[in-house]
Amino acid sequence: MVKYSYLIPLFPFAAFVINILFGRRIKKLSALVAILASAISFFLSLAAFIGYLGGNGSYTVVRWLDFNAASLNFGVTIDPLTCMMLLVVSSVGTLIQVYSIGYMSHDLRFSRFFAYMALFMCSMLVLVLADNFIMLYIFWEGVGLCSYLLISFWFERASAAKAGMKAFITTRIGDTGLFIGILMLFSAAGTLNFKALEHSSGNQALFTIAAFLILCGAVGKSAQFPFHVWLPDAMEGPTPVSALIHAATMVVAGVYLVARTFWLFAMHQPSLIWVAYIGAGTALFAASIATVNNDIKRILAYSTISQVGLMLLGLGVGGYSAGAFHLMTHAFFKALLFLCAGSVIHAVGTQDIQKMGGLLPKLKVTGATFIIAGLAIAGVPPLSGFWSKDEILSEALNNGHPVLFAIGLMTSLLTAFYIFRLIFLVLFGKPRSELHPHESPATMTIPLSILAFFSIIAGFVGSPFMNHAFQNFMVFPQESYIPHAAGAVHLVMAFSTLAAFSGIGLAYSFYMLNNKILAYSVRSKFLFLYRIIYNKYYIDEIYEILFINPCIRLSRLSFKFDLGVIDAGVNAVAQVTVIIGKIKSWFDKYIIDGAVNGLAKTVRLSSGLLRRVQTGLVQNYLLIAFFGLLILIIIKFIKAG
Amino acid sequence: MSGLIQQLNNTGLPQEFMLKAIFYIIAASTVFFAIRMVISPNVFHGAIFLALALIGIACIYLYLDAEFLAVIQILIYVGAIVTLFIFAIMLTASIQDRTIKQTNEQVLLSAIVAFVFLCFFVTIIRRNPWQAAASKAEGLALAQLGRLLMSAYVLPFEVISLILLAALVGAIVIGKARK
Amino acid sequence: MIPQSHFLILSAILFCIGLFGALTRRNAVGILMSIELILNAANINFITFNKFLGSSDGLGQVFAMLVIAIAGASAVVGLALIIAIYKNAKTIFADKINLMKW
Repeated sequence: MVKYSYLIPLFPFAAFVINILFGRRIKKLSALVAILASAISFFLSLAAFIGYLGGNGSYTVVRWLDFNAASLNFGVTIDPLTCMMLLVVSSVGTLIQVYSIGYMSHDLRFSRFFAYMALFMCSMLVLVLADNFIMLYIFWEGVGLCSYLLISFWFERASAAKAGMKAFITTRIGDTGLFIGILMLFSAAGTLNFKALEHSSGNQALFTIAAFLILCGAVGKSAQFPFHVWLPDAMEGPTPVSALIHAATMVVAGVYLVARTFWLFAMHQPSLIWVAYIGAGTALFAASIATVNNDIKRILAYSTISQVGLMLLGLGVGGYSAGAFHLMTHAFFKALLFLCAGSVIHAVGTQDIQKMGGLLPKLKVTGATFIIAGLAIAGVPPLSGFWSKDEILSEALNNGHPVLFAIGLMTSLLTAFYIFRLIFLVLFGKPRSELHPHESPATMTIPLSILAFFSIIAGFVGSPFMNHAFQNFMVFPQESYIPHAAGAVHLVMAFSTLAAFSGIGLAYSFYMLNNKILAYSVRSKFLFLYRIIYNKYYIDEIYEILFINPCIRLSRLSFKFDLGVIDAGVNAVAQVTVIIGKIKSWFDKYIIDGAVNGLAKTVRLSSGLLRRVQTGLVQNYLLIAFFGLLILIIIKFIKAG
Repeated sequence: MSGLIQQLNNTGLPQEFMLKAIFYIIAASTVFFAIRMVISPNVFHGAIFLALALIGIACIYLYLDAEFLAVIQILIYVGAIVTLFIFAIMLTASIQDRTIKQTNEQVLLSAIVAFVFLCFFVTIIRRNPWQAAASKAEGLALAQLGRLLMSAYVLPFEVISLILLAALVGAIVIGKARK
Repeated sequence: MIPQSHFLILSAILFCIGLFGALTRRNAVGILMSIELILNAANINFITFNKFLGSSDGLGQVFAMLVIAIAGASAVVGLALIIAIYKNAKTIFADKINLMKW
């Protein structure tokens, strides 16, 4: 079955084509087409996984371009990382599309939505199946395009259109770095095939620079600092889009990229530790912002940024399988969190949590799954989040990065805090404004339940209960690059559990006790700090001043130049043409017409003179005749001598 | 003229001289009358002078051994045509007024043209060496002329009659009073 | 006796006088009379050549006769025309009849 793995993305692509071309005619059926395609992809992925387990890690190759010493081919590779990504993407994608039937049921562009979703599924699947950089880059851009299309799906809203542009431009900066890195690799090694690159011996300095550039691309796509600014704004898109693209799959494309090129980072050491630093820093930074934000989806967006940072931290300290593990579990509970948020928004019609409260009695399924997801992300054992986060923290500590360990721990505490702040404010307490919540339809609650189930059990495959099957499966071929020490496993477990519960406890005391007195008093004491964090550390404003305004001014200047110089030039040419035209018309009127008229006037004058010969008197005629005869005779006479 | 000459020979006068002198006198008077005709203010007088000029010409015909033609000239020209002219003059009034100019304003130019023509003719005539034919006919007898008209020149004769008929009819048509 | 050239000169003189008259007379009848004079001058020429070139068939004289006949016919028609014009235009002065003027 591995041989036919190239079929996996073809079904979503076919769904995209059908939905785009015939969407208007089939209307609601487009959802069925897209979901069917995703489901088929899921089953094919399963078959590929099973096939891989049976020992078949082959790949098919399609020839594309051939240079002298190099060749670029399209091919498919199946290895543990690919298998996991395939299963995660296709399963979560299918569930979210089922959810979208209910969420987008009133939308006018229903079939277009599913067309875009199908296109995204296709691009993401090819991205994870790619066996060379070119294919990866093409579909990297493809998922970027789908993200743009889906963020600004409701493009009638100016904020949505702007958010789409912001996402595209910001990730573009990262993508440029990625592309330069790819070119460097190609010039150094002469090939872009992952397997071939791994065993090549090119200019190592170039390889290191390329590694940093690839990291640049990953930072852009995964919304890490300093390219994180697009993700919170991307929440303008419909909630299923946020769930699929900006939580479970696309944002982790950066993590996938680092994992795919892990050998590159591992062999050129400074790059790897930088991965960890960036990840850790972003994680803490984003978690802090999430603690004071008041918009459901934005809290979850910052949470995503923070968790992706944790994944990069895990990869950066050498925990290849740890990072991948967290990627998998995060996909489930983050998607679940977003879908629950969508359900809540669908129920009450607002995104401001200050307006919500006490929704749990009315939204039973949504509330329950929300709490399960919250427990998972907080890292409460024995849910999935606990196992994966624990893995990352132990890798950090055991591989000699105590500072990173501490940062990770702090982040876990903050994660628990803000997620339960969200849960307490939304589901518990008294309603803070006029709400009439109603539970969502079955198409929305069933995926919630399924995802909740996975959020609970997905962690077990990496736990001691199953003998760390996941880690053994997700084995990185050359583990010798990374020093591995097994050590204080239980210590780490204790610390992370402690962090989780203290976070929950803090949230409880702040927001559930004494009418939130503690929250208000802390805020008033640290009002200055609170303001900075509430405004996202003013990063957007700084970017505006540093980059965006000069850029806008430059483009305005160019426009003025275009208008004043180039257009003026063109206009001048036109003016010259007009003037030449006027000269020509004058010439035509006075000289040429004058000549013609003059000719006519001459004829008239001469005929006016000549006609006087016609006196009407016969004797005059006779005289003239004889006169003429006389002249002739004289001439003859003279000639004859 | 030969008979006359013979007769004159008998009188003993210098005949040739006399004949010549008479010729020149007649020629001069013909010219005189012609000139008087074209510049006379009174057109009636002009008609008379025309008649006299035509008679003079008839006399000259006599010198040219064309007796019949001289008679014809007088009969037809002077007798009929000039009479016709006088009729027309009478019919078309205003002959009494002496103050009406009879010559139009292109006198000078016409005089010049006529004079140059004259010079031209005279020059040509004088330049040309006229040879008289060796044997001359002694003049044409009337009977012979009549016979010629009916035999050799019968076609022109008939055509002339047609022309005269046409002229007759034409004159009547033109002269008819319109209703 | 009298040389040929003298007759010819005479006829030339008469021709020119008649030409002068045809060009200058105002009275239409006067013009016709001048034309008769011209015809007579031509007649003199014919008779002169008839005599001096000595043809036995008298062509000159016959021609002169025909000319006389033609002159008569033309005078007749001309005068009829003049009288018709006089009836219409009440004038016989040639320089008053200029309907064909530009």
